[in-house]
Amino acid sequence: MLIDTNTYLGHWAFRPLPWRDADSLLRAMDAHGIDQAFVSSASAILYRNPQAGNEELFAETRAHPDRLIPFAVINPTYADWEHDLAVCCEEFGIRGLRLYPKYHRYSLGDANGNALIEAATARGLVISVPLRVEDYRQRSWLLDIPDVTAHEVAEAARAHPKAKFLPVNGMGYLHTAFGKPGEAQGDYALEISRLTAVLQEELQKLIAAVGPDHLVFGSGMPFTVPEVPLLKLELLDLPEDAMEAIRWKNAARLIGQ
Amino acid sequence: MVIDCHAHLSGPKNDVTISWGVPDEKVIADSERLGIDAMCVSLLTRERPATPDGFRECNRLLAEITRRYPGRVLGYAYVNPGYQREAIDEVRRCIEEYGFIGVKLYNEYKCTDPVVWPIVEEAVALRVPILHHAGHSHYFVATQPNMSDGGELAELARRYPEATIICGHVGGGGDWEWTIKAVRPAPNVYLDTSGSVFDAGMIDMAVRILGPERLLFGCDLSYTAGVGKIRAAALDDEARRLVLGGNMQRILAMRGGATC
Repeated sequence: MLIDTNTYLGHWAFRPLPWRDADSLLRAMDAHGIDQAFVSSASAILYRNPQAGNEELFAETRAHPDRLIPFAVINPTYADWEHDLAVCCEEFGIRGLRLYPKYHRYSLGDANGNALIEAATARGLVISVPLRVEDYRQRSWLLDIPDVTAHEVAEAARAHPKAKFLPVNGMGYLHTAFGKPGEAQGDYALEISRLTAVLQEELQKLIAAVGPDHLVFGSGMPFTVPEVPLLKLELLDLPEDAMEAIRWKNAARLIGQ
Repeated sequence: MVIDCHAHLSGPKNDVTISWGVPDEKVIADSERLGIDAMCVSLLTRERPATPDGFRECNRLLAEITRRYPGRVLGYAYVNPGYQREAIDEVRRCIEEYGFIGVKLYNEYKCTDPVVWPIVEEAVALRVPILHHAGHSHYFVATQPNMSDGGELAELARRYPEATIICGHVGGGGDWEWTIKAVRPAPNVYLDTSGSVFDAGMIDMAVRILGPERLLFGCDLSYTAGVGKIRAAALDDEARRLVLGGNMQRILAMRGGATC
């Protein structure tokens, strides 16, 4: 069993993504032995009204509830986001949010961010924060959006001990509350696609520091290729129960599955 | 044969070379664990622009490592073209005395600056490739004002069609689509696949635009990204063989003696 906690459907304005609809994403998952995926709309990152992206996403995922687990993109500075959140939960059956504070110009620690985190936590949703969409060096001349730092997400987790955070596309967690036993009080999981598994071995060091229950597999498909995090799993020398935790059990726990 | 065309080591603890924070023995062991048979390495000076004393010490330390790992660690001669006489002498010494396999140029000068040309001419005379640091950002990179990009490397390659130029780390140099398109018209520019970026479609686009004969597998210390993106690429067996090492073997054979 393998759950991918970091996938997307839809379009990205700056380059074509190889898998844009549910059928092609499912084929890619099959080709890589991935059983289920947390998926959100890539289009919604840049749409002014992200709910349009959530609607497109649900139209794709609704036929595959056993495999594609929808996450919604919510911008707490946009009109009527609370209603969008309710629709996403009650009609679309989302299990989590993907938040883009830098793209949507708020902070996880300001009033907008706090309101959204509290609303999501009250609904039992996972709060997934991509630390980046693309590598900063290749950004378009139209956008200059810095990465979210691991520290910002860790601080939000510390401020909201009942929230369930899932930072993805990230690294540099070791010196944050996420990498120190007992400092992040709520449930959380760190997605592994950018963690080093050789040389500096941040992945192995995090497992040593906080145990295997806070790491989850994720690929970043279709922005990035799953072969890289799959190779990182290959390089781990862990007991089978720890591997199962990282491959799928921790992800399932987060969404209450 | 799998050859990493773009690798770095630190050398023993010293005040001259960049330290990557991981002992050389671990870098070499980890690369071996990932199925890499040989790595083409440069040591870079911590302080830049590199002085002649600095780049000579880097190369001397690297020569010691290549002797400890014969056939496994292959050396690039790192020089600063601004010290022209010293750089030319060092390139020749590294190739002829140390048995290095190529030249590494970093970001001290744009590759189109005439100060670089005598180094290129020396590499041509010695029949060795030049691995050139490269990147293209749509913003000014204040930390690297003289960084070359794929278009400038293509311009250099047109001036020296007999030169073999490797455009560094397409996965670590900004807009990779721009870079692939920029080097296309220059058949003597090879593209190194290294860098931490493992975007879907990157290697496939490079193969489509340039052909597998112009791609060289590399990691530049991003080992899982380096290996994983080639695993992901839609390559047939022959194309994969070429990218992973066949093309680099052909380049190494230009000089004849240097093998791995």
